[in-house]
Amino acid sequence: MSVTALRAGDWLSLPVRPRSVIIACALAVGIIVVAVLSLTLGRLGIALGDLAPAILGQSTGPDAIVFEVLRGPRLTVGIAAGAAFGASGALFQTVTRNPLGSPDVIGLTSGAAAGAAAFGLLWTGILPLPAGALVGALAAMALVWLGTGRGFSSPARMLLVGIGVSAMALAFVQYVITRVGLQQATVLASFLSGSLASRTWGDAVIIWVSVAVLLPCALLTSRRLQLMEMGDEQADALGARSGATRGWVVLIAIGLATAGVSVAGPVAFIALTAPQIARRLTRSAGPNLVLSALMGAWLLALADLLTQQSPFAVQLPVGVLTAVIGGIYLGYLLVAQWKKGTV
Amino acid sequence: MEASASPGGHGGQPRSRLAALGLRLAYDHRVVVPDLSVEIPDGGFTIIVGPNACGKSTLLKALSRTLKPEAGTVLLEGAPIDTYRSKAVARQLAMLPQSPIAPESITVRDLVARGRYPHQGLLRQWTSADEVAVTGALESTASTELADRYVAELSGGQRQRVWIAMVLAQQADLLLLDEPTTFLDIAHQYEVLELCSRLHAEGRTLVAVLHDLNQAARYATNLVVMKAGRIVAEGDPREVLTAELVEDVFGLPCVIIPDPEAGTPLVVAKVPA
Amino acid sequence: MTSTATRAAAGISSGRRSVSRLALGLLGSAVVLGVVCVLSLAVGNKYVPPGDVWNALVHPGTSYADTVIASRIPRTVLGLLVGAALAVAGGIMQGLTRNPLADPGLFGVNTGAAAAIVSATAVGWGGATSVWVALPGAFAAVVVVYLIGSGRGPATPVRLVLAGVVVSALLAAYIQAITLSLPAVFDAYRFWVIGSLAGRNPHLILDVLPFIVVGLALALALSGSLNALALGDDTARALGAHVGRTRLLGALATTLLCAAATAAVGPISFVGLAVPHIVRSVTGADHRWLLPYCVVAGPALLLAADILGRIIVSPGELMVGVVTAFIGGPILVLAVRRMRAGA
Repeated sequence: MSVTALRAGDWLSLPVRPRSVIIACALAVGIIVVAVLSLTLGRLGIALGDLAPAILGQSTGPDAIVFEVLRGPRLTVGIAAGAAFGASGALFQTVTRNPLGSPDVIGLTSGAAAGAAAFGLLWTGILPLPAGALVGALAAMALVWLGTGRGFSSPARMLLVGIGVSAMALAFVQYVITRVGLQQATVLASFLSGSLASRTWGDAVIIWVSVAVLLPCALLTSRRLQLMEMGDEQADALGARSGATRGWVVLIAIGLATAGVSVAGPVAFIALTAPQIARRLTRSAGPNLVLSALMGAWLLALADLLTQQSPFAVQLPVGVLTAVIGGIYLGYLLVAQWKKGTV
Repeated sequence: MEASASPGGHGGQPRSRLAALGLRLAYDHRVVVPDLSVEIPDGGFTIIVGPNACGKSTLLKALSRTLKPEAGTVLLEGAPIDTYRSKAVARQLAMLPQSPIAPESITVRDLVARGRYPHQGLLRQWTSADEVAVTGALESTASTELADRYVAELSGGQRQRVWIAMVLAQQADLLLLDEPTTFLDIAHQYEVLELCSRLHAEGRTLVAVLHDLNQAARYATNLVVMKAGRIVAEGDPREVLTAELVEDVFGLPCVIIPDPEAGTPLVVAKVPA
Repeated sequence: MTSTATRAAAGISSGRRSVSRLALGLLGSAVVLGVVCVLSLAVGNKYVPPGDVWNALVHPGTSYADTVIASRIPRTVLGLLVGAALAVAGGIMQGLTRNPLADPGLFGVNTGAAAAIVSATAVGWGGATSVWVALPGAFAAVVVVYLIGSGRGPATPVRLVLAGVVVSALLAAYIQAITLSLPAVFDAYRFWVIGSLAGRNPHLILDVLPFIVVGLALALALSGSLNALALGDDTARALGAHVGRTRLLGALATTLLCAAATAAVGPISFVGLAVPHIVRSVTGADHRWLLPYCVVAGPALLLAADILGRIIVSPGELMVGVVTAFIGGPILVLAVRRMRAGA
């Protein structure tokens, strides 16, 4: 009945929650399954036996193109971006103590959209969009930081200012969409729904490096975050320094979300739902960072798989699918909570 | 890895490990306590009372360093409390705020375990010492059977016991409790107060803010009466609590009689003429 | 709804706001509105002096100035109707949800109307942007929100807002899916989705007029009940107000007003949020004054924004939806900065 712990002599002891470990392994397996399916299904799919050579760069011909250009980059970007969104959402929800907290509501994703639109207006082609998204997200966060009058220390104020910044960003985006030709407008609108189409290995490097750097930073704060769940006063009383922690956590969360948005566009709902689903599965409190990241990765990869293999003539951006999944799940979540009487 | 010990230690036990000097406390420039000094007697059960908005909770927060004073200092072991690292303070001083938030879907055991944070490091996150502390805390508060239940499912009295268990798991000698009985029904109020009394008898120093004058009189070894941000009386309840004081501070005409059970002062409101 | 409740609840706003001062203020605002209307007819690519405006209205002729004026009459009338509708809808929504920062689109009304219009366009319906398409869509969305929100137990404001988030998200995904799959629909949609008073079919005015009039009348009739509702459900019931019925009728009024406004000019942001919020600082929370002030202040703001849009990028024109976003955003930020600390 005690807490299981991983011990190594006297200098290492980490608590381990068996249920969480099992679910993490299951998600890892799930990601691998989805990855394999993404590469093998469909008319252009690589045969299962030829998969290893294709990944290792040893095959030539159509398999190489399918992996190198068409599906490989988008898959790797999707997994890392999903992880970034999931972790970012978990951090936001914990630090705001609000299950609806996510980088979307503070204007980050709309800022990214506006940045992408602005760059798309100034330079034609697809390439400027991710760079624009990055600049836009940072600009939006700067506006929020200035607008609240006290930086990032009050999530409630961030939310309200974020609504204002979002509205302006979205109005700008809509305006740009009317000013450009139909072709370019469609490309822009597609990116703005969150799309993994035409991703490159460069994008993959960006997002994987970002996650590799920021996720461990986030993990370092997770014990203090656990305490902050009990309220700032209680956390401070236990020595957690909630004010400083909150500042760092918000920065890391913004960093992760910005990285994700710059390579995948403003994908809806992953940041909102992945942490909630992870929490429901593990039935434990705490930020559940690793699990939220794994869940986000799996969800995004799955959504992208469905988008690619969908029977519709036109491939929809993955963001549409995540919005539907997310919306339905959120609805179920709310109804379930109301039956329990906790809302 | 131990944080700074109390600097300038002189020989001999200080009479008050926790004290405040010239405190000026405010929320956003709205001054609640203009100038207050107090010494918390070691090994005592100090209870702070006073009318609404007199600053008693504010004082407690300042004493536990969760509220930074505008002026003045809080002294822990003779040194200003902000010279210590926050975790070091938490190893000596524990506080339970008024409305602690229980995270969703947390079990009792997990909640109590969080009280061990001040003793844990990056690599040493769950030692056998932690294990022992949590088990002990659960036993002290008679919550061992509740260990695997969700905190959200517990009754008010059970939940408060569990929060006290978390505070106990910190293994601090100084316990600060902000209105630990406020939302409980009468039986549970006394249950919690008896628990506090037992913890006090085991050698800890307790400081609590209470609303109920009679409960405060019964359990306190040191009663602190506040009004409008100042201490108007301090000392043994039997000496401090007089009808004149109650009328002056609370505006309630009353008579003080000895409590038939405990012998401590019992405030009985006068019937208006 | 007993008069006791009204009077008790109106205690919120008594004191220095005497009836005569409020009445004078309302009159003054009406005068300001009149001036703005004249400006709306006068200002534009070709500036027509106000004297000529009066002549053209009273003695319509066929001079160039007269035709210019005649072309501006529809947009001015639309501005009057839509501005009043949106502002009052916002006032009701803020009263229903007890949230001074509520927006009339919270219950999914605007997204519902947009989704219906997009669907109608997709199937090639000629009168796609008519109020007869938008209204059922808006109603359907609100009904769904109500059903989700009332799952088990009363439909509290929090539940309705959360349900609104879910429904709006799903509808937005649906709209994205349709517009990104059908280029023709996208091409029409991208111009419609920015609210604009220009280029609209003048017959729309006659179509939406009855709905807006009924909506406004219903809203004004609910003023007393909304006052009671502001004190909390239990207190309101104790005062004799019918909480459930007020919510239902309030939602009905909001839906009528928003659907009609959206159908006429497309979605316009912030008027519903900002106008009641600003007006409240003058009238206090008494809906019996708040709503009439909104009827006057809403169009004033909207027409002012429209005029601004004509001036800023002259000789081009900036749609009023974009202008309101860029006015409303900073207003919201200012409101946040003036919020008391601890929020």
